[in-house]
Amino acid sequence: MPSTQKPPLSGAAIDPPALRPAIDDAVIERVAPADLRGVLEAHKRDGYAMLLDLGAVDYLRRTPRFDVVYHLLALSPLAASVPEVGTPRRLRVLCGVEDGAHLPSTTDLWKAADWAEREVYDLYGIVFDGHPDLRRIQMPVDWQGHPLRKDYPMRGPARERSPRPAFAGKSNVIAGTPPAGRTLEALQEEVRRAREQ
Amino acid sequence: MTSSSVLPAPEIVSQTENTMVLSMGPQHPSTHGVLQLVLEIESENVVKVDPEIGYLHTGIEKSCEGLFWTQAQTLVERMDYLAPESNALCYALAVERLLGITERIPQRAQIVRVLQMELTRIASHCVWLGTHGIDLGAISVFFYCFDLRENILDLQEAAGGARMHPNYVRVGGLNGDLPDGYLAQLDALIDKFPGRMRELRGLLQANPIFQDRTIDVGGLSAEEAVAWGVTGPSLRASGIAYDVRKAFPYSGYETYEFDVPTRTEGDAYARFLVRLDEMDQAMSIIEQCRKRLDAPGPVMIDDPKVAPPPKETIALSMEALIHHFKLMSEGFRVPPGDVYQAVEGPRGELGYYIVSNGENRPYRMRTRPASLYNLQALKGIGPGNLIADLVVMIGSLDPVFGEVDR
Repeated sequence: MPSTQKPPLSGAAIDPPALRPAIDDAVIERVAPADLRGVLEAHKRDGYAMLLDLGAVDYLRRTPRFDVVYHLLALSPLAASVPEVGTPRRLRVLCGVEDGAHLPSTTDLWKAADWAEREVYDLYGIVFDGHPDLRRIQMPVDWQGHPLRKDYPMRGPARERSPRPAFAGKSNVIAGTPPAGRTLEALQEEVRRAREQ
Repeated sequence: MTSSSVLPAPEIVSQTENTMVLSMGPQHPSTHGVLQLVLEIESENVVKVDPEIGYLHTGIEKSCEGLFWTQAQTLVERMDYLAPESNALCYALAVERLLGITERIPQRAQIVRVLQMELTRIASHCVWLGTHGIDLGAISVFFYCFDLRENILDLQEAAGGARMHPNYVRVGGLNGDLPDGYLAQLDALIDKFPGRMRELRGLLQANPIFQDRTIDVGGLSAEEAVAWGVTGPSLRASGIAYDVRKAFPYSGYETYEFDVPTRTEGDAYARFLVRLDEMDQAMSIIEQCRKRLDAPGPVMIDDPKVAPPPKETIALSMEALIHHFKLMSEGFRVPPGDVYQAVEGPRGELGYYIVSNGENRPYRMRTRPASLYNLQALKGIGPGNLIADLVVMIGSLDPVFGEVDR
C-alpha cells in the first residue's frame, strides 16, 4: 500500500470537532485538565453510571496537542428489579492535553477505565496519575514509542528489512522511512516550527 | 522516536507463601483465541486474575488513518471476525452521519442491512454456543451450531461474494442488490431455524451437567456490570435492558417488533439463556425483513460523489467515467467533524468514534470494542472461583480477540 505514507493535504482542518455542532445523540462538553476530575465526578453523581469508552486523538499541529475523549452513558433506573432503562443519554467529554502533561485517573469512578487508560497510555503516551497498574496493554512491554501518535510512521519504526537471498547486499531499502526526501527528524522539526508559529 | 516517558513494567502478580503463579494461555484451547491469563492460585482456587491481551494487536486503527474512507471499510470487518457485518454497518453509519446523507439511504438498503445484522448475530451466537459447549464437554452441540452457521455463511457468500468478510455494506448503501435465488435460500433457513433451535435447547438447557457447571458461576450484579462497562447479552443477563437498537435506533430498527430478553441472575447460565432468546428474536426480525423484501428498489444512494456509478454506464456516459475515476483514484472527501456511532453487535455496544478533518481519509478512527470491556470484567468475577470455572466465565462473556486487540 504505497498510499499510506502521504503527508496531510494542505488546508486540512486542525481542530475538526470545534467546526461542527453535534451530529450524533451525544451532548458534547469540553473541559480543561484541571477541571476534568470535578466535572466527571459531577456527571457520575448525575447518573452517568457507565463509562462507555475512553480514547484519544492526536491533533499534532494544535495546542493542546491531544484530546482525551470520555464517552459516558446514563441508564436509569439502575435497579435490576426494574428492567426498563427509560431513555438512556450519552455524553462526550473532550479534554485537551499537552504532550507530556498528566491526567487524573478515573479508575475509582468507573472500573471500565482501567484497561482504557492503559491503552491510551500505551498508544499515545498520556500518563494517568493514580492508575493502579499503568503499563502497556497492546504493545510489548519493551516497545519504544507510542504508535497511534501522528508523528509515528505508519509502517513502524525504521528498521532494516531482513534480506532475502536474491536481493542480499543489493538493496538498501529501509522499511518505515518517512515520505520521500524527508527524514523523520526533518518532519519533527517541521512540526515543531509549525507549532511555534 | 517520540521521546516520552516509558514507565518501568511493574510486577504482574505478587507471589506469597501460600499461592503460586500460573500462566494460562495464550495457546490454550479454552481461552477462545490468544488470551493469556496470569493467575495467582491457592491450590485450585483463584486469588487474582490478570488477563494479558495484545497478542493479536494488528494496528487496524492506525492502518485506517492511511486508507481512503472506502478502503478502511474492508479493514474494520476484520476486527470482530465472527460478526463482520456489524462492524461494517457501524462504520458506514458513522461516515454517513459525517457526510450528512443518513436520511437519504434507500429503504431497501436499510432493510437488507438489518437482515444482514441479524443473520450475522445468529451466526456469531452459533460459534459462541458451539465453543462454549466444547469447553464444558458437550461436543455434539458444536456440530449442530456450525451446521446452522454454515447456512448463514452461504447466504453471506451469495450476497457479498465472500463467506467471512463479505464487505457487502458500503457507505451509502450496499455493494449490490440481493442475487436471484437469495430469498428462496433465506426462506429455507427460516423454515429450518425453529427445529434447530429446539434441538440446541434440548441438548443443553435442561442438561444437569451443563446447569451444574453454569448456574451461580461468574455472577455479575447489575451495578458491577455497569461499572465494568459490560454491554450486550452479558449486561442484559444482569437485569438491565439496555439495547442500542431500542435506545438509539438506527437503520429503521424502531419499525421492527422485537423484545429485549433479560434475566436477573447475572450468572453464566443466565447469559446462555439470554443469548438463546436473542437468537429467536433475531429470527423474528429476519422474518419481518423477509416480508418487506418483496418490493424492489435501489440499494445505493443516488449521489455520484459517494456511490460509484453502475459499471455499465461507464462506457456510455462521460460523467459516469469521471465520477468512477475520481472515486477510485482519490476517494470522496468527508466534511470535518467528529461523530460517535454505535450499533448493537452480538457482543454488545460496538461504537466508532471517527474524526474527519476534511480529507479523503479518516483522521482518527477509534473503535469501542464490546469484547474489551466485557472481558475486563473477568478481573472482577474471576477471583474466589476454581480454575475450571474461569473457563466457563470466559466462554460466557464471549470475547473475540480480533476486536479486543484490534
